[in-house]
Amino acid sequence: MNPSGKTILIIDDDADFAEALGAALEAAGFRVLRARDGHQGLKLAKLEAPDLVLMDIIMSERTEGFFAIQEFRRTPSLASTPIFVLSSLYDAVADFRVAPEAGWLAHDAFFSKPVDLEELIRAIRQRLGLNAAVREGTG
Amino acid sequence: MTTEQSERELAGVGCQAPAEQAPPKIIVIDDDSAICLACRKILLKEGYQVQAYEDGLRGLEAITTWKPDLVVVDLKMPGIGGMEVLSRVHEFDPHIIIVVITGYATIDTAVQAMKCGAYDFLPKPFAPDPLRLIVRRGLEHRRLVIESRRHEMERELIKRRFVSFISHQLQSPLAAVHQYLEVLRHLEDSPETAAKRREWLERCLKRIAELEELIRDWLTLAKAEERVLVAQRYPIDLRPILQGILNSYEQMAAAEGIRLEARLPEQECLVWGNRHCLNVLFDNLIVNAIKYNRPGGRVSVSAQPLGDGQVAVAVSDTGVGIPEKYRRFLFEEFFRIPRQEGEAKPGTGLGLAICRKIVTEMGGSIEVESEVGVGTTFYVRLLAPPETAEGRRARLEQTA
Repeated sequence: MNPSGKTILIIDDDADFAEALGAALEAAGFRVLRARDGHQGLKLAKLEAPDLVLMDIIMSERTEGFFAIQEFRRTPSLASTPIFVLSSLYDAVADFRVAPEAGWLAHDAFFSKPVDLEELIRAIRQRLGLNAAVREGTG
Repeated sequence: MTTEQSERELAGVGCQAPAEQAPPKIIVIDDDSAICLACRKILLKEGYQVQAYEDGLRGLEAITTWKPDLVVVDLKMPGIGGMEVLSRVHEFDPHIIIVVITGYATIDTAVQAMKCGAYDFLPKPFAPDPLRLIVRRGLEHRRLVIESRRHEMERELIKRRFVSFISHQLQSPLAAVHQYLEVLRHLEDSPETAAKRREWLERCLKRIAELEELIRDWLTLAKAEERVLVAQRYPIDLRPILQGILNSYEQMAAAEGIRLEARLPEQECLVWGNRHCLNVLFDNLIVNAIKYNRPGGRVSVSAQPLGDGQVAVAVSDTGVGIPEKYRRFLFEEFFRIPRQEGEAKPGTGLGLAICRKIVTEMGGSIEVESEVGVGTTFYVRLLAPPETAEGRRARLEQTA
């Protein structure tokens, strides 16, 4: 089922979080892909060209998410794919002294974990230019 | 690439090879060329790197560019005086040691110089020996100051990382459970969703159980740090403790086809310890030996009094083994060996940190030997009880 016609890739090492988030997005009419780390996510993204990526920034107790975003930006076909960063630890992200607006990080929005699902879905729709009619259509 | 990177990062933790120590650098500033030369000669002979200046300003310049460890400076010079050099140097680097030479060795000037941050003073005229001694003491002082500052920074860093890491460890399961519950709240009631509902609720419960385990382990570790766990020690026979733990995991091991073996001495095997601590210690080691074993493998536990006041315990498995590069991180808090998907086992990453803490607090040691694909053995040394009248009485009371 993919009434919106849009695909979202979730990159998160917490399988439960990805499962719950994915279920919510599917219910909202998106096609959902899941990857458990940045490496796998990048591979999947190259194959499937998702419309938007939701990326956990502190994966596997490390800063892998940063490198993954960098790799996305360096890949021509993915350079302009919107990336929303999700993290339970934005303070720690700030520790790396990389401001979200810094060029190389270049993610579109930041959401704190646990995510307000309604707010997230609204932001995704807005970013992908989906109008309210699609929402009505998904029920 | 990223895994390699973090491994490198990890390998860099606290293991920087000490750089080849260059001899300490000393600058001598005195308008009296004879003293300047003499000091230089004496200190060079001691193996230090030395620069000498007869002019205060040139000396100051050299201090900012050459960055010495110690400065010997005359308090009374034409032009810029010693006292001014003193304050300018400490503006530049408060940890440079300054020894002042004073021609008018009144207590007052010396005290004033010390107040301005001088480490010590040398009244003119002085013999080579006091100079050597003061310089050596000053350099030792500097080394200690720098070292303690480094330790403090390291501790601070570890503390900061630990706090942010533990927050992450606590927040991840909470975020997952939160997200499940939110989805469940909006989930329609239908036969199709019933299975999902059940599965997600199970996952929530599992994550909460893991969270509880983490909090429990963390508290154990905190207690061990406060020396609460091992405050009270008694002579305790290890045999029933080890046998008891093995018995309690009989079923869990059997389910994996793993055989549990105990090689325990006939007679009492007493250690000087705390029952709760010993249980936590060997429970952790034995569970690991089962968890990281292979199907059909073997766990063997042996204990032996060594007769030199120590008791040796070994817990071996026939499991996957621990690659050498990870062994030195094994006892660190939250260290977990990176594993392939599907091979990962549940755990908090605190078990072995707790083991090391407990063993150390009880005056013993813990070591690991491992061969990849063959198995791992943890060797624990514990202290035998001091055989005092008190000890005997406590033992009798405990067994009574």
